[in-house]
Amino acid sequence: MLENLSKTEQKILENIKTVMDPEVEINIVDLGLIYNINHNEIDKKIHVTMTLSARGCPVGDAIIMHVETVVKANWKDYEVTVELTWEPEWTPSLITEEGKKTLNL
Amino acid sequence: MKAGLSTKNAPSPNVVLPHYAFGAIAFLVASVLLFFTAGDIINSYLGGRILGVAHILILGWITMIIFGALYQLIPVVMEVRLFSEILAHISLYSLILGTIFLYWSFWDSYISTDLSMEIGGTAIFISVILFVVNALMSAQKTKQKTIENTFIITSAFWLLFTVSLGILIVLNVFYKFIDKNNLELLKIHVNSGIIGWFMMLVIGVGSKLLPMFFIAHKLNRNYLRISYILTNFGHLALAVSLYFFPNKYLLTVIALTIISGILFFVKYNYDAYKMRLRKKLDVGMKLTVVAFLFLFLTIISGFLSIIKPDFLEKIHISINIIYGISLILGFLTSLILGQMYKTLPFIIWLKKYGNKVGKFKVPMPADLYSKKVANLHYYSFVVAIVLILIGIITKIEMVVQISAVAFVITASLYGYNTFKIIFHKEKLEKNDE
Repeated sequence: MLENLSKTEQKILENIKTVMDPEVEINIVDLGLIYNINHNEIDKKIHVTMTLSARGCPVGDAIIMHVETVVKANWKDYEVTVELTWEPEWTPSLITEEGKKTLNL
Repeated sequence: MKAGLSTKNAPSPNVVLPHYAFGAIAFLVASVLLFFTAGDIINSYLGGRILGVAHILILGWITMIIFGALYQLIPVVMEVRLFSEILAHISLYSLILGTIFLYWSFWDSYISTDLSMEIGGTAIFISVILFVVNALMSAQKTKQKTIENTFIITSAFWLLFTVSLGILIVLNVFYKFIDKNNLELLKIHVNSGIIGWFMMLVIGVGSKLLPMFFIAHKLNRNYLRISYILTNFGHLALAVSLYFFPNKYLLTVIALTIISGILFFVKYNYDAYKMRLRKKLDVGMKLTVVAFLFLFLTIISGFLSIIKPDFLEKIHISINIIYGISLILGFLTSLILGQMYKTLPFIIWLKKYGNKVGKFKVPMPADLYSKKVANLHYYSFVVAIVLILIGIITKIEMVVQISAVAFVITASLYGYNTFKIIFHKEKLEKNDE
């Protein structure tokens, strides 16, 4: 996951790093919630595929809306969509090294 | 957005918030009344004043918060909309009315046919019926056939059974249509409320929420399935046995069956605790861990209360009192004190900031209350519950009174944070960019 990102997609990922999980209080990229980013310059579309740490997460809507808002704010001419997926299911193994440091794992 | 994102199903906060507000007030009132009941409670678990305080705690505090939390959680965990917000409002006001009248009736005249008992009992019955209808009608639409949801739905049935039996007992006091000692029926009523309603619900909700807060995955869900079979089978057998064959050996086997079921639930959540991502627990989760410690005391005292061993005959009344206190003021109160911080701030945060995140700098849910106050009431609670148990064991009234003061402090601080969260004023700062 999150492999072969273009430079622009990596920039978008950096933008999404400002989105925090309100329960764990680390950013959702380091938590491993972002599965893919697709930037299409010709169609002017950005598509983010992400998950949540648990089904029924009480702040799920807010996190997704936050991602959408942050990306839109930085890529004003683009149509931004955020897709929620449960496959594969999120596990702690998806937490980045940076995230593990923050969580003292 | 794909299925599974459920927060859009959550009801209006106006349905949920009054439950938290009235619950906090009821906890404070009960704590104050506990001070004036200290002399009674060291010697008995029956009597007007004790039943008055017990019903404020069970109905006004614990059931009130549980109803409110479930109106929020059923849509979230079952991924359905709440069947009716109007029914929830009527149930709420009926519960408040019923609690006040029942308390007054017990405090004033123990068990009598006075008007306040009739109004109170009827109002509670209406409240429960409306809650159960709302919960079941909402649940029937769910596609999430999980064991946690099955626990929650089953608990609603047991709640109905418990309250119906309570009404039957009151009627039987006066009309004697069941040829049975009312104390025997009372035992079934109490155990049904404890095991069928509270425990079943705690297992269902706890097994969903606690691993979510611990962010633990790949847990053995067979523990929950086994727990469901053992607790339900055991509970049913207990009711039948208490009514028809109250044999000590049979009751021992049944009690051990129920305890095994509860321990499977504890094991499930202990595994989640060990796997937790955040090693440092916040005050909400610390109180939850304390609750589990009191669950063990509840299990031990509950076991002794049911089987009544001969060698403990002299202190049997004290054991019954400890059973009730460790369950109501220990396990359930600690769980609610803690889980308030894991639910209420999120409800308000979503209401105030859910559609503003990203556009403005917004506070985190944990910024909506005072952590210092929360930590203070964590310690005052531990002091209060330990002192009351010492007071019961030593039968020293003053120790129970000091404990009641600590409970008043706990309830005041908890109430402060509850209302601070409910009346939180939006704080928005523009983003730097």
